[in-house]
Amino acid sequence: MILENAKILIGDDSILARKQLKDVILSQGSPTFFEASNGQEAIDVYKKESPDLVFLDIVMPVKDGNAAIREIREYDPTADIVIVSSVGTQSQLKAAIEAGAKDFIQKPMNADQVKRVLHTRFERG
Amino acid sequence: MYAQFFGNFLLSRNIVTCDQLIQAMKKKSTEHMKLGTLAIHASYMTAKEVDEIYIEQTHQDKRFGELAIKDGYLTKAQVTELLKDQGPDYLLLGQVLVEEGIIDNEQLQSLIIEYQSANELDDFVDYSEETQESIQHLVENFFVATERPLSAFEVSFLQLLFNNLIRFIGDDFTPVYPYPCTEYPTNYCVSQQILGEFSIKIFIDMTKSTAIEFASRYVGDTFDEFDEYVQSSIEDFLNLHNGLFNVNISNEHSVELNLTPPEREMTELLSFNNEGYLLPIVFPFGTIHFILVVTTSR
Repeated sequence: MILENAKILIGDDSILARKQLKDVILSQGSPTFFEASNGQEAIDVYKKESPDLVFLDIVMPVKDGNAAIREIREYDPTADIVIVSSVGTQSQLKAAIEAGAKDFIQKPMNADQVKRVLHTRFERG
Repeated sequence: MYAQFFGNFLLSRNIVTCDQLIQAMKKKSTEHMKLGTLAIHASYMTAKEVDEIYIEQTHQDKRFGELAIKDGYLTKAQVTELLKDQGPDYLLLGQVLVEEGIIDNEQLQSLIIEYQSANELDDFVDYSEETQESIQHLVENFFVATERPLSAFEVSFLQLLFNNLIRFIGDDFTPVYPYPCTEYPTNYCVSQQILGEFSIKIFIDMTKSTAIEFASRYVGDTFDEFDEYVQSSIEDFLNLHNGLFNVNISNEHSVELNLTPPEREMTELLSFNNEGYLLPIVFPFGTIHFILVVTTSR
């Protein structure tokens, strides 16, 4: 997997969740990480860094994940955003997909799900 | 879940001291045979299949047997057989207390009869609707002291809370009878609100040393100091529990609820109206206090 040149943004208000996700990704390679602790920060970082992949929580202070997805996708319609959330109701999923999320990982995060997301995007060849 | 309530039953009747109960719950926890382990032993499931079900259980509030049948790993008859082998976990707690010389077999026998009849429990625990009902009944009985009837949503919320404590922290706890609470002096306290057809504000509070142990169990790592990861893990647990509750309510009742982000409570003394009640959960490493404030917004 080619993660070395990849830029990954993790937006979650939980520092623990950000660390756990980073640890799983680091087991697969060493991309450049950017972090945000609320939806607005995630939007700001996205606009500045244009990451290849974004992991976003839904329930966050200042601006929630779905609002952040909408703004990011408005800025960049090709943005690749994966929701990582404990709130996996059908309506939340629908709202996230409508906003432009491409995948969903339910918390507590399972390492295999994250690896699958990485493999489908960064697999060599 | 029965053993935790049986522990409280023994404590409230002064059959055991708090210390004796904590030690016995700890020992019971190490001796408790999980259904997955029994399924591997019987060659009904592989370790990988068992692990898959454990992961599924962290995403949906269903019993091991129920999920194993749904996924085609076990038949109903096999689950029944394994549950019979496992036996009710409160019997194991009773056995530990007998082994420790705290009660004798005769006492245990009469305590079990008393406990079963007070909670309308049968000897045999299975995964049927009846068992589900008896767990609900157990939760309702337990909350009689709060002097307010629990709504069906509150019973679901509390049942899930006990299940999540077992799944993510450990089964060696004893819930102490909850009571109405108008004021509460905080230690490290985090709150989160569920909003929608009804509203629940839940607070979780514990001392810093308890928080370090709580986080170590929750994350499956060892923390030595009260750092930002320890603090974050308490918020994370609360957020996870409430998120799973919203999923349950959405799936079972088609009711959509929202969550606010978890927040640290900075005030030293929390004040509540009459709706608040305090639920202490005693673990060997310390006591976790939950405060629930339930209001209906209709």
